[in-house]
Amino acid sequence: MKTLIKISWRNIWRNRSRSVTIISAIILGLMGGVFSASMRLALEQQQFEDTIDNQVSHIQLHHPDFIANPEARYHIGGGVEIASELSKRDDITVASPRTVVDGMIASSNMNSGVTIKGINPEIEARTTGLEDLVTEGTYFTEKGRLPSVIIGQALANKLNSYAGSRLVLTLQDVDGEMVSSSFRVEGLYKLSSKSFEERTVFINASDLNRIIGDNDIVTEIAVVIENPDDYRKVAEILSGLYPNAKVRHWADLQPSLYYSLEVLGEALIWILIIIIMAVSFGLLNTILMSILERVRELGVLLAVGMKRAKVFSMIVAETTIIALIGGIAGLFMSWGMIRFLGNTGVPIPGGEGLEDFGYASVLYPRLETAFYFEIAIVLVIFAILASVYPAWKAIRLQPAEAVRQE
Amino acid sequence: MKTVIKTTNLSKVYSGTAVPVHALKNVNLEFKQGEFTAIVGPSGSGKTTFLNVIGGLDKPTGGHVVIDGVDIATMKESQLFDFRLRHIGFVFQAYNLIPVLTAVENVSFIMLLQNRPKAEMEQRAKEMLEQVGLADKLDVRPGKLSGGQQQRVAVARALASRPDFVLADEPTANLDTESAFNLLDIMARLNREENITLIFSTHDQRVIERARRVITLVDGAVASDEYFDRETSGEENGQTGQVMTATL
Ligand SMILES: Nc1ncnc2c1ncn2[C@@H]1O[C@H](COP(=O)(O)OP(=O)(O)O)[C@@H](O)[C@H]1O
Ligand SMILES: [Mg+2]
Repeated sequence: MKTLIKISWRNIWRNRSRSVTIISAIILGLMGGVFSASMRLALEQQQFEDTIDNQVSHIQLHHPDFIANPEARYHIGGGVEIASELSKRDDITVASPRTVVDGMIASSNMNSGVTIKGINPEIEARTTGLEDLVTEGTYFTEKGRLPSVIIGQALANKLNSYAGSRLVLTLQDVDGEMVSSSFRVEGLYKLSSKSFEERTVFINASDLNRIIGDNDIVTEIAVVIENPDDYRKVAEILSGLYPNAKVRHWADLQPSLYYSLEVLGEALIWILIIIIMAVSFGLLNTILMSILERVRELGVLLAVGMKRAKVFSMIVAETTIIALIGGIAGLFMSWGMIRFLGNTGVPIPGGEGLEDFGYASVLYPRLETAFYFEIAIVLVIFAILASVYPAWKAIRLQPAEAVRQE
Repeated sequence: MKTVIKTTNLSKVYSGTAVPVHALKNVNLEFKQGEFTAIVGPSGSGKTTFLNVIGGLDKPTGGHVVIDGVDIATMKESQLFDFRLRHIGFVFQAYNLIPVLTAVENVSFIMLLQNRPKAEMEQRAKEMLEQVGLADKLDVRPGKLSGGQQQRVAVARALASRPDFVLADEPTANLDTESAFNLLDIMARLNREENITLIFSTHDQRVIERARRVITLVDGAVASDEYFDRETSGEENGQTGQVMTATL
């Protein structure tokens, strides 16, 4: 056995440049695979963080008619109680009751149409992490003369306002009358989605309910669940529990994000398959060439009584050693690459424009340790499979004929 | 003297070709323990075919090969592998050695496949390389050896495992005269000292006279089978031997 591996090992280095070439191909293949996987994961994570974690949440509940007509009269009856009921469930982390109305926001020289979200600041902080997104000013801590509003950076730029400046919100009350009220910008939040920043402002639900003339109106409940992968299951459960509410999960709410992640995942799998196939065929070709060059030698081995199974394992061992060298070296280099790029970030070409659509312009690839081993194991398995055909060719040699060949 | 190999009505027809080739025709031969035999004949006369068939590398299309009382035609493929490994030593015309192994590793190789103890294996391999005059080349790989030296390593390997007999197909064909004589002398000496039955083929008149028995094949049939008494076999040139028997 030891000698068998020794022979395999030395055979690999008989044609040094050929082996180095195929080992390099394995290393580059692995790095390519790891790179695309890590970028995909980074993109997915970043989009998920931005869109789902910070904006949409996993599941939302509304009055069925609110979706077509986002007006206060289509609210969820007993919304505050439902939200606190939901928060107590084991499969739900937190549920934030909101009062959402459309309105106008105006500074002294500009105005803009916005969605006004009346929230419970403490619950909202746990739901969308809004508090952590505030980059200037503070988050509903001041008890000033004017009620607080938290607006997006992009909206602040547009309105020429800043933390501390005064803005006027105009909206319809329950009777359909237009009412205006002054607010003080307490904080500015930042997201990678500029359009969300421009469109959405947050105020205390109690302030909003006071303006529209009703108490405790809840038009939207945003739900964060314990296990994000279970979003469909939990949404179904909630639909059953609250038949009067329209329950939608994030894939319903953000179909384009859902499909882009799906397509991305699909594309990644194909990229990996193509890389692994290409490397395997290269390996197959290399080993096959070395078999054809060694017909006489293999014939002699079979003639003197080396069993076909041993010759077979010798060739499989050769391939496996090559794959292992390439695999291990490739893993270390991929790991180094991800560590490096994870720190410096990978700028997306033309990335500044992407920010407006909710995409980050720089991605920070990272990868779970398990993935490295998964891809390496798959590669080694394919390499061993690639050796089966050449090895089979070798053991089908008839020793009497093989030793005759010149 | 014990009979090691016995063939009866041995024939081999290659039928893969346009016209079937009768490479062996009713060959009846017996080889006894310790014999040193040359199979001679022009190219295409069936020497290689004969050695392949008695060596279990190829199946005859007619007749029998009985080795130590066992008809090898009845053996399964896997049994033949084992039989070759345990009972037969092979030397081919060229490319005998594993290029990536040193001389001593090559000589040990058959014993290794036989699972012999490591210490015994190494000692025997060194001893055999000394016997063939390569004591100073133990750790040299075949690529760094001359053609004659490579064939001597091959002979050392074939004999190291103490097989019942050794088959050498044109072992000197690629060698210059001096190396060819040298190799044959070594084979002859090992044949005497180790009492190993040795059969080699050649179409080279120069080396035929080293053998004590010369079988001539013509068109796949035995044309003559002669015994010579060579007391000083191998140590000098020229046909000094005297014909003891001649059969036809
Ligand atoms: N695989 C084969 N298929 C067909 N004919 C063959 C094959 N091998 C050898 N022969 C033929 O058998 C005859 C004997 O060949 P061979 O045993 O190689 O003779 P030698 O070794 O004396 O040169 C030749 O005519 C050769 O062409
Ligand atoms: Mg021949």
